[in-house]
Amino acid sequence: MTEAIVVGNLVKVYPKVRAVDGISFTIPEGETFGLLGPNGAGKTTTIRILLTLIRPTSGSVSVFGVDALAHPNRVREMAGYVPQDVSVDGEITGYENILIYAKLYGMPREERKRRIKEVLEYLGLQDRANSMVNTFSGGMMRRLELAQSLVNRPRMLFLDEPSIGLDPNARNAIWELVSKLRDEFGTTILLTTHDMVEADTLCDRIGIMDRGKLAVIGKPSELKSAVGGEILSISSQNPDLAAVVKELGYSTMTESSNGTAELLVVNGEAVIPRLVEDLRARGLEIASVSLKKPTLDDVFLKYTGARIGEGGSWTQARLTRRTFRRLTR
Amino acid sequence: MNLKRYLSSVLVVTELELRKIRHDQSQIWLRVVQPALWLTVFGVTFSKIRAIPTGDFTYLQFMTPGILAQSVIFVAIFYGIVVVWERDLGLLNKLLSTPAPASAIVMGKSLAAGVRGLFQAIAIVILALIMKIDLILTPLSIIGVFAIIILCGMCFSSMSIALASVLRNRERMMGIGQAIMMPLFFASNAIYPLSIMPDWLKVIARGNPLSYIVDATRSLLVTGDLSSLGIDMLVICVTTTILVILASFGFKKILS
Repeated sequence: MTEAIVVGNLVKVYPKVRAVDGISFTIPEGETFGLLGPNGAGKTTTIRILLTLIRPTSGSVSVFGVDALAHPNRVREMAGYVPQDVSVDGEITGYENILIYAKLYGMPREERKRRIKEVLEYLGLQDRANSMVNTFSGGMMRRLELAQSLVNRPRMLFLDEPSIGLDPNARNAIWELVSKLRDEFGTTILLTTHDMVEADTLCDRIGIMDRGKLAVIGKPSELKSAVGGEILSISSQNPDLAAVVKELGYSTMTESSNGTAELLVVNGEAVIPRLVEDLRARGLEIASVSLKKPTLDDVFLKYTGARIGEGGSWTQARLTRRTFRRLTR
Repeated sequence: MNLKRYLSSVLVVTELELRKIRHDQSQIWLRVVQPALWLTVFGVTFSKIRAIPTGDFTYLQFMTPGILAQSVIFVAIFYGIVVVWERDLGLLNKLLSTPAPASAIVMGKSLAAGVRGLFQAIAIVILALIMKIDLILTPLSIIGVFAIIILCGMCFSSMSIALASVLRNRERMMGIGQAIMMPLFFASNAIYPLSIMPDWLKVIARGNPLSYIVDATRSLLVTGDLSSLGIDMLVICVTTTILVILASFGFKKILS
């Protein structure tokens, strides 16, 4: 199988921060690969380096065998890009937005017409093609951005937070489209996301990224089973809960002094009654117990020591995107 | 990338800007208001008091080329703000991810500023004709003035983009635009001849590209004396080329 992307020991240093700190990964052709991590993890910087928008401090990047540092233009010819921010122009129509990009990729006129029609239909935008984009909803803008990035039939598609700031319906629509792209056209896709569910739904493989480093790479199912069991959440009025549970020999994923703890257990259904009895015997009143299969969030916790949502910075990113959208009106 | 593809990238970026204007033409007409007021209020009053020596020509004849150039630079000098704005919106990253080189994008945008100026210039010339200001309007002079106006727009919009790559935000760009605009206009031959200026100001005005733009336009539209047109055009072309190159180098800095 051809390798679509080979990244070797990539580093990008800014004056104050090592945004990308020595990452390496390979994406085979036809795969959807996700970089999962909180904002500021270096995902967008990585995408921009692969797109030749930023030069790395050191390291190597090859896209379908082309050295991206030596031949940035050849990489751009075969890439499609949907940035995190709204990147369609509100002051022209949807059709014109695609037309300009088709022209920038140097398509001959007849082919251009045919392909624009194709992408408009593919993304369900043909009815609104001649409306001004500043009358579009967020989901439609996102679809138009996808249409723009697909018009040159990219072998390699880069999606930076494809569903950020979208409502659930629009988000599902984008997910379906992205899956269809891989299944029907075999497009290789690199996407970044901080959304566990998105990574789980769309990606064949995931790289968990935190503070410029790739903590682990694997299939979502493998990563989840590597957590090594199920997650048992337990809560009590008694603040000593976590300490007592540890004393009993359970391994905790998280614990807090307000009487809650998450335990990593094997064969959880059998563990619950025993645990409840042991805790009663030590005089601890239990408020609730629940058991769940590990999610990518737990994988993230295992490898980075923090939950992905804890930084709260992604909510800020959402707000930013919303502000930008308002500005385009 | 071959030259043909490069030039077509330039023109596509210009086309993008022109399509925006086509969807909202009011912005062109609103920008004609200020130069129209310069002609009808300032020009008419000053030609009454005859304070400014303009040789064989009326004051209104003398100042029309100055106002033409002014209407273009006042828009172009703020062009960097548009670029910073588009960066904030995320439009530039996407443009730069296409095969179009950064310099082609800059040139396309500055060319668009020039073409935009053309519409204003046409409106002002029509107004001048309505005011019965006597102008030389031959096919050659019109083509010449159009070329100068486009170069003028390219020149000052690339200056603005180059500044934006250093200043990097809208507020500072607004400030610098205001600060440059006034000396640019008044330390030039736009509304009075260099001969009435003190010597130190003459030196500055001679270094001001606007003086050459106005002089070239004036020789084509008013005096018909083309003796200095060659040197004017040389200065305009060289300055524009340098500024476009500076803007192209600075363009990627606006992003990072």
